[in-house]
Amino acid sequence: MMKGIEQEISRDRRAFIKKVLGGTIAGSLLLVIPAGAMELDRIPEQIPGMRKEKGPFITGRKFAFIVDITRCIGCGSCCVADKNEYKVPDGNYRTWVERYVIDDHDNVYVDSPNGGLDGYQEPRRDLPHPVRDTFFVPKLCNMCEHPSCVQVCPVGATFQTEDGFVLIDYKRCVGCGYCVQACPYSVRFINPETKTADKCTWCYHRVRKGLLPACVNVCPVQARKFGDLNDHESEVYKILHQPHVISVLKPDMGNKPSLHYVGLRREVV
Amino acid sequence: MVPEYKSKSYTHIVWILLVLVVVVIAGVYVRAKVLPKSFGEFGHYRGDAIFDEMNRPIRNGTNSSCLVCHPYIREMHLNGVHHTVSCEFCHGPVADHVKDGKVIAKLPKKQGKEIKRLCLRCHNQIIRARPKESIKMISMPQHLEEKHVRTDHICNQCHNVHAPLMWVKEARAMVGVEEDSK
Repeated sequence: MMKGIEQEISRDRRAFIKKVLGGTIAGSLLLVIPAGAMELDRIPEQIPGMRKEKGPFITGRKFAFIVDITRCIGCGSCCVADKNEYKVPDGNYRTWVERYVIDDHDNVYVDSPNGGLDGYQEPRRDLPHPVRDTFFVPKLCNMCEHPSCVQVCPVGATFQTEDGFVLIDYKRCVGCGYCVQACPYSVRFINPETKTADKCTWCYHRVRKGLLPACVNVCPVQARKFGDLNDHESEVYKILHQPHVISVLKPDMGNKPSLHYVGLRREVV
Repeated sequence: MVPEYKSKSYTHIVWILLVLVVVVIAGVYVRAKVLPKSFGEFGHYRGDAIFDEMNRPIRNGTNSSCLVCHPYIREMHLNGVHHTVSCEFCHGPVADHVKDGKVIAKLPKKQGKEIKRLCLRCHNQIIRARPKESIKMISMPQHLEEKHVRTDHICNQCHNVHAPLMWVKEARAMVGVEEDSK
């Protein structure tokens, strides 16, 4: 065996060295560039078992979204992730963060400069009275169980799937804007680029591929939580079955949102 | 003598029925032509729209999709207090950087004042709306004055942005000070 290698080397020294060198370089490159990075199966599944679901609807799960107002620090990570994920045109927001300021005369001031996309760098200086309390409230689609936007759509372009997601058919939407007016939570807008209605989908495409919504993923303080209510071990199930002050926005509208808030305040509802 | 108010001829009724039938047939035909194929498959909407939305490209990965190729950063980031901070928040979405397993472009690196602005999105004490106990807050010129450095310093001159306390801890270990920074 050894003899064979020696013969090979002496036969064409130059070619042998070339082969060895080439092999080494190729091998080390393989280590540096992992083949198929950013291919989905290399990203670990965050919602177990989702990638097996191939049908039109998710079976056996009931997703809920929880926003914890007592945790939100108003950094705007969620807004940045959302804009990056969907290339949302400037001036439109699929999700945004509002700042509530309550002064000692119980006046409530709400602002959201650029939807919280640039974060909150400056305090409000335009208020006449001392501030009593202030907090951030992230807003997104409420994924209502009885969505008013679906009822009013004249062409069937916005619909509710059997697994509870309210989605938009961008090919069918005529941009009449009825749904924008019908939404009690003002989460819809007419996208100036596609000229159709647009809104937060709780990152349906990510969820179907086993990933958490982009905003949930980036939140540094876990103020946004997403999970399955049928799974009694999930964080959202545990939170919604604890003696917390939990609430939904505008409960009197009868839309039954699947978006819940922890620590929701009287001033916000 | 019964008055003759009933016509013996039924042609007008036949005509009305004929027109109705034609209208219904035309309506059904036009509806079949105009409606998309999968409309009404699951409800009053285009069934394929679900698959359209499902196949929207994913642009943000997760932290693990970044750290799989950046082992040195991984070591720092996951062991530091910033381990919950998203890579893509500061650097941009992974889809702008990697496509089909190949690096297509470099993500822009934040420099100077941009870094300070990014840090202060979370750590600015002057924004009172933040819950106090959750993360460390500083007010900007005062923090630099307290630490006896020039007030035009950028945060990353003392703090590694991936593991903010790494250099601080190392420096303390070197000089043997066990100062408790508040």
